[in-house]
Amino acid sequence: MNIQEYISSGIIESYVLGLANPEERQEFERLAAEYPELREARDAFEISLENNIQPGTISPPAHIKSKILSQIEMDEHETAPSFSGGGTTVPPVIAGTDDRSGDISRSRMGVRKDFSRILAAAAVILLLMSTALNFYFFNRYREYNEKYQALIASQTELASHNQILEARLLEYERTMDMMKDPAMYIVKMPAAPNAPDPASATTVYWDTRTKDVYLAINRLPKPDQNQQYQLWAIVDGKPVDAGIFDLKDGAGMTKMKNIQKAEAFAITLEKKGGSAVPSLDRLYVMGKV
Amino acid sequence: MSLLKSRDSKAFSYLYDNYSASLYTIIAQMVNDMEVANDVLQEVFINIWRKIESYDPVKGRLFTWMLNIARNASIDTLRSRGFQNTRKNQSLQDKKDWPLAAKPDWVNIDNIGLKRTVERLKKEHRVLIDLAYFKGYTHEEIAEIEDIPLGTVKTRIRNALMQLREYLK
Repeated sequence: MNIQEYISSGIIESYVLGLANPEERQEFERLAAEYPELREARDAFEISLENNIQPGTISPPAHIKSKILSQIEMDEHETAPSFSGGGTTVPPVIAGTDDRSGDISRSRMGVRKDFSRILAAAAVILLLMSTALNFYFFNRYREYNEKYQALIASQTELASHNQILEARLLEYERTMDMMKDPAMYIVKMPAAPNAPDPASATTVYWDTRTKDVYLAINRLPKPDQNQQYQLWAIVDGKPVDAGIFDLKDGAGMTKMKNIQKAEAFAITLEKKGGSAVPSLDRLYVMGKV
Repeated sequence: MSLLKSRDSKAFSYLYDNYSASLYTIIAQMVNDMEVANDVLQEVFINIWRKIESYDPVKGRLFTWMLNIARNASIDTLRSRGFQNTRKNQSLQDKKDWPLAAKPDWVNIDNIGLKRTVERLKKEHRVLIDLAYFKGYTHEEIAEIEDIPLGTVKTRIRNALMQLREYLK
């Protein structure tokens, strides 16, 4: 073979540019190993091609580089072990048109496939997490709603209880005011000599300005349902009705009838609604003015 | 070189800085679409990284090796069905406003790199190099497309390459 003829046949350019078919390529590589001048001619064309291509080229967008670097970094971590033995599957050094490796596009497809798989997996995970969170938050919502309702109920109860206490406090305050009032005339009423309950005791507070009568019950037995206690003022030796009353909770005073003048006060147990004349056999307490 | 083979990422970064523009330009000239060229370039450098062990300096220069990886990846992209469909749709859709929609970045793409040299070839040579090199058609396919005998295709391409070599010197 005339190597000079071969060199100028266009095979070098065809080989370097990747236009040669596999048989041509094989032949070229065989001859290049044999003839140094063929290798020199090839090197020369490669250098002129390289020099010719470089000027005026366009630089790719900057972000491409970082994408590639992070990709190969991932590569290193994920598939590094498989590389050591993977040498046999790589295509020839200068691949021709005919055996341009499909694995380039396959690898890209692979990357995309993997990526979409990762995306799908991520989506499923997110959905599951979201569902779990929804369930969790719904339960929490129910729980807190119940607690809220319970709180409202107890708050209402507390408020009404508070109102009761307030009313009672007000009553105590009024009582205290009356007891402290120097214009109040106090009539202690211990148990009468033959009283049914010898421990009975009451007190009358008599306002010397208005002549209003307030009764404080220290102790009286609980009457039957059809009975009521009645307060009497003794005026000029005769009993005058000063009003009926019920026993009640607390230490509040009960306002009785206005009495202008009296020598003593007494309480008897009468039928419900009171009597015109006191039943002296049921005289519980009595106190002189 | 040994650094590259031992997968040194700094060496790889250097490689990228020195050759990405050349490869990017070839890819862009082939796929003729900026977005696609970005994807292909990315894929090409990842492949360079993965296959660097298989590069054999005895058989040629590193740049030649990389250039062929870039070209093959571009041809794969051109031939993939999805890409062809996109092209078809685009050419139908954009036909009327194509001149206005011309991407400014690509206006001069045929006047740089290897393509600038190819443009100097006479038309019958230029067309065949364009089909063979930039579009990746085989000689048989070109004979069919251009409706000329296979022998003529081979002769013309050989002559075109010889001419190209003179221009490149």
